[in-house]
Amino acid sequence: MADHQPPSAEAITNGITSHPTTQIAADTAAQHDLLPKLIPHLDRHLIFPLLEFLSGQEEETSLEITKTKYELLKTTNMTDYVATLWQEINDSDEIPEEFLRRREEVLQRLSLFTEETSKIDELLVNEEVTSKLRSDKVANLKFLEQEHGVTASMVDLLYDYGRFQYNCGSYQNAAHLLDQFRILSTDNDKVASATWGKLASEILTTQWDSVMEEVNKVKETIDTKLFNNPLAQLQHRTWLIHWSLFPFFNYEPARDLLAELYFSPAFINTIQTDCPWILRYLAAAVITNRSRTRNTNLYQKQLKDLVRVVRQEGYEYNDPVTDFVNALYIDFDFEEAQKKLGEAERVLKGDFFLSATADAFVESARHLISESYCKIHQRIDIKDLSARLGLNQDEGEKWIVNLIRDTRMDGKLDYKEGTVLMNHPANSVYQQVIERTKGMHFRTSVLSAAVAK
Amino acid sequence: MSKFFAGSSSESSSSDEEELYSEEEEQQKSEEEESEEEEDSDEEDEDESSDDGKPGASKFLKDQVSSDESEDEGQVTIVQSAKDKRLEGLQAVERLIDNAVKINDWSTISIEFDKLNRQVTKAIVDNKPPKSYVKAISDLEDFTNETLAKQKVTPKKFNATNAKGLNAMKQKVRKNNKEYMVEIEKFRKNKESYMMEEEEEVVVEKPRKAKPVYVDSLGPDDEEGFTVMGRGGKVLQYTPESILKHLRSFVESRGKKNTDRAEQIRIMEKLLEVATTPYQNIRVLLTLISTRFDLTSGSSTNYMSQEQWKMADLEYTKLLATLEENRNIVVLENAEEWDDDEKPPQPAAGEKLRIPGSIVSIAERLDDELTRSLQHIDPHTAEYIERLSDEQALYNNIIRGLLYVEDLRGDATLEIVQENANRLVMRRLEHIYFKPAQVVSILEEKAWSSIPNELDSEITPRSKMLDTAALVQTLSTYLFKNSVDIIRARAYLCQVYYFALHDQYYRARDMLLMSHLQETIATFNINTQILFNRTLVQVGLCAFRANLVYESQNTLQDICGSGRQKELLAQGVMIQRFSQVTPEQERLERQRQLPFHMHINLELLECVYLTCSMLLEIPLLAQTGSSPDIRKRIISKTYRRLLEFHERQIFTGPPENTRDHVMQASRALATGEWKKAAELINSIKIWELMADTEKVKQMLSEQIQEEGLRTYLFTYAPFYDTLAVGTLASMFELSERKVAAIVSKMISHEELAAALDQVNSAIIFRKGVELSRLQSLALTLSDKASGLIEANERTLEQRTQGMSNAFERPGGQGGRGGRGGRGGRGAQRGDRSGGRGRGGNQQFGGGALGSAIRA
Repeated sequence: MADHQPPSAEAITNGITSHPTTQIAADTAAQHDLLPKLIPHLDRHLIFPLLEFLSGQEEETSLEITKTKYELLKTTNMTDYVATLWQEINDSDEIPEEFLRRREEVLQRLSLFTEETSKIDELLVNEEVTSKLRSDKVANLKFLEQEHGVTASMVDLLYDYGRFQYNCGSYQNAAHLLDQFRILSTDNDKVASATWGKLASEILTTQWDSVMEEVNKVKETIDTKLFNNPLAQLQHRTWLIHWSLFPFFNYEPARDLLAELYFSPAFINTIQTDCPWILRYLAAAVITNRSRTRNTNLYQKQLKDLVRVVRQEGYEYNDPVTDFVNALYIDFDFEEAQKKLGEAERVLKGDFFLSATADAFVESARHLISESYCKIHQRIDIKDLSARLGLNQDEGEKWIVNLIRDTRMDGKLDYKEGTVLMNHPANSVYQQVIERTKGMHFRTSVLSAAVAK
Repeated sequence: MSKFFAGSSSESSSSDEEELYSEEEEQQKSEEEESEEEEDSDEEDEDESSDDGKPGASKFLKDQVSSDESEDEGQVTIVQSAKDKRLEGLQAVERLIDNAVKINDWSTISIEFDKLNRQVTKAIVDNKPPKSYVKAISDLEDFTNETLAKQKVTPKKFNATNAKGLNAMKQKVRKNNKEYMVEIEKFRKNKESYMMEEEEEVVVEKPRKAKPVYVDSLGPDDEEGFTVMGRGGKVLQYTPESILKHLRSFVESRGKKNTDRAEQIRIMEKLLEVATTPYQNIRVLLTLISTRFDLTSGSSTNYMSQEQWKMADLEYTKLLATLEENRNIVVLENAEEWDDDEKPPQPAAGEKLRIPGSIVSIAERLDDELTRSLQHIDPHTAEYIERLSDEQALYNNIIRGLLYVEDLRGDATLEIVQENANRLVMRRLEHIYFKPAQVVSILEEKAWSSIPNELDSEITPRSKMLDTAALVQTLSTYLFKNSVDIIRARAYLCQVYYFALHDQYYRARDMLLMSHLQETIATFNINTQILFNRTLVQVGLCAFRANLVYESQNTLQDICGSGRQKELLAQGVMIQRFSQVTPEQERLERQRQLPFHMHINLELLECVYLTCSMLLEIPLLAQTGSSPDIRKRIISKTYRRLLEFHERQIFTGPPENTRDHVMQASRALATGEWKKAAELINSIKIWELMADTEKVKQMLSEQIQEEGLRTYLFTYAPFYDTLAVGTLASMFELSERKVAAIVSKMISHEELAAALDQVNSAIIFRKGVELSRLQSLALTLSDKASGLIEANERTLEQRTQGMSNAFERPGGQGGRGGRGGRGGRGAQRGDRSGGRGRGGNQQFGGGALGSAIRA
């Protein structure tokens, strides 16, 4: 579905960036506002929630946002809503002729489409027919043509109708139609764009399970269909990364899967090359994941990867979130890290995707700071540490007790002095030897198995 | 003789040597008296006079000489090799014989013949007599036989001396000619071609040595009427009608060895004056320029003289101007030859008149010749600078040629191949990529002002090309889009080089990594490899300026660590002790050398490399130094070797050169005296060459402070129980926060067995971490064992071509920058040992970006 692909959105980007939207807020959050960077990679309809979020945050400038919304949706078929927006902008009660006419047109076309596709729709609902369909698309098409007079153009009509529905804002219908289209069509390009369209529809109807399904499908398409066109591959991956931000932060079960996806070589490369700002989301996700992941190994690995990437891209992109990672893991400057954490919190709260996780992020980040701090220090003043974490002394004490319990670190509180004593047992040599030789047997047996094959 | 006159000496034929002239005449007379001693002295005289001819005065007369050529014959004998002199002598004698033959003077013939034979023994080169001698004796034999035959039938008696001479000749000729039977036979069979091929060995030297000699072949000065004579004695007339005929004869004689190109050039210059139509003009110019180039061909060491080059350059401009004015005439490589000399071809209406030739090749040749001359001129002389100033003219012409080619490409009917434009764009790019922006903008400005206003380029529009970076970008992007393989790679490298030169490290690095050139560079030609090496070095220097010591060292490692910087950068031929280099290879190598103004300062390069190595190696040495069993990691072998050498010295004097400075600084740094180290490093003179000297020094001082702290901690940790952060801070003049950060980093990376005490702000060193012998051996063993398994896995993986996924290890994706692995080894030169592939030791270079592009 060509229209679902961002190039079409580029035109409005200009509209938006030239609009004062970007000037809306001048504080830290706005300074690191990613909206202008995200928009070129998102679909028209997907941008809408972002704008909505923005208008929810800022009351006094809502007119500007309304204007932007109007610009954004002008070309879609959601005439009623556009007309309302127009009214809002122009502060009038009348609906101009133009909108009414367009509304008529849309309705007309809608009924036309319904009529034309009714037959095939019926067929596909019909148990009798669907049970006869096989996995072979060509055979299916042939069967339908012979038995029920379905032609290829009729199938294509499904696609057009789906697109039309999508433009009207009835995403559920669109998703349904596109799904049917995909079952029948043999046109690979159209199937690919139908998949994109379905993905967008599912995102907008927040059907996260099916979203994840579609994400995987799109990923496969990119890997298999575009392997000889690196540029297009890069571009498609960039889109996919941006689109999947929606499930990433709105659907818990998807988070691990998507984090893994983002860290896979192809995608991390895409991020580095094309859209380093995604690092903010990645960093936030990884840090927030801390409390949830039971698998510490994986977590450590992700953290290491994240630190590496953040460091490499430091010259191209930084914001408080990546700065925090940088200060904590590269410079070991705890004061700086603390400062950045405060900034990061503000940024997160102003971000559409991250606002919900801001608290979790701060919590986890505190954990990370104190973890790393305790690892390096032997004796720590509780007062000082509490200040570093932005807590008062009592809270700080509690915090540290919890920390020691959670991370099973070897530490004791000296109440009289108000300090924590950390005990760092030296990594025993024997332990090291055991560690190093641990996997050998397994690896050797794998090796011998491979030789035997 | 001063070297300033070296260039002009070959033409230092002076015209004011009256005494030489008279001497010369005396010599002529004395020659006729045919005494051997006289002859020897004759030669000596010549030598003397040639020495006399060189003092300064002659330099000023140089131009005059070349302009009024038929001055005197004094110059004839002046600068010639011994061999040429002999030939010259032979020819003189032969001429005398010829004259004598004409008047039937047999006594003279006989005498001269003896002399000829004496001389010819000296002139024989690898058993072959000079061709003129063969011709002479063969003619003489004919003539003798003829005369004898005549004498029998004619009653008229010779006088006594004559008859005696004739008889003597008969004997001598018969006896003598037996020796040269073979040659004479050859000669008789095919007179023309024999003369031709026989001349070959002479010609090798001729363009250089015999150049001034053309004067005498032009005709003796006793000829009064001043009708200009052609070579064959024909009277030449320069009329517009005959131009094409002349040209044809020149073209036909091209490549033949005894053509006198200098004379042809002179004639063509005259022809150019009389040429009336643009067609004639263009034809003459084309031939004239290529003949000028021919002057130097055939000799490898030589290069085009500056005058010739300038003339050619001017004529090229003229040619382009003519072509620009006459749009209906085009010069094309694939045009058909026009055979009719009588009238110019008449193109059909609407068609363009096509003339065979190549605008591009001429520009390229001009460029090459300039480069070649720059290679040979001593770069520290004024001459070099003077020569360098010609670059502007050349650059103008390249752009203009490019405009012309672009214009031709606009006409689809002409079928101009893309390659032409590419070649010129490449030349243009190669003239600017290594220069600072200011220089380029001057160059551009001047070039555009020299080009008529109505001309404009599509590739680089006049109005938009004020910004040099944009210009370089446009040119290289153009080439990248439109060309393939080598030119494409070169354009890309030029672009990277330019970025690196202008401190855009990340862009340069990303581009270089994305190109994946380090994997394929070994398959390119050597000049491209050199460019690659240059680019690599420039990126390294750029990283250094950007305060990225690790990256800089890593990048420079391949070139500087090899110890063959000179050779790899084509900035001088290495004298190798065990050289297996044939003269042929050495000659090629010399041809590849870059002119001096393109050089990257090798001393600066070494200085940067060693300083970076020092900053990385000294802490590492301190870290590993105390525990001998940790696997020794060596960053730079070269540096280690130098350091060892330095430490072996019993007495060390004050540092003299860059290397000494760095080595002594290393020593100071190793013992914790960071101030001394910083002082030593900062006193290196060569930093002055860096753009922002103070900043670089500042940066170095900071680095030395930090690394000094690290080294200190590594070295002296075993002797401390606790150490206050404040003490360290005052010792290294760093802020406490910074010290704490550095220590934290070391602790976190497990480089230092310690912990911080926040309350007292001190470092507490952990005790009992030193390993016993047995323990460290156990560790080594476990390391080795896991290494073995990995090696096994890798072997199997290679065997199965990665088919079995059993060994997919995580974390294998490439890292950018941090790893910085540039497998630049590929840049090794394959020519050394007959092109054996040296692809080995490729690290992974692609990095993240690279695989994204590939993926």
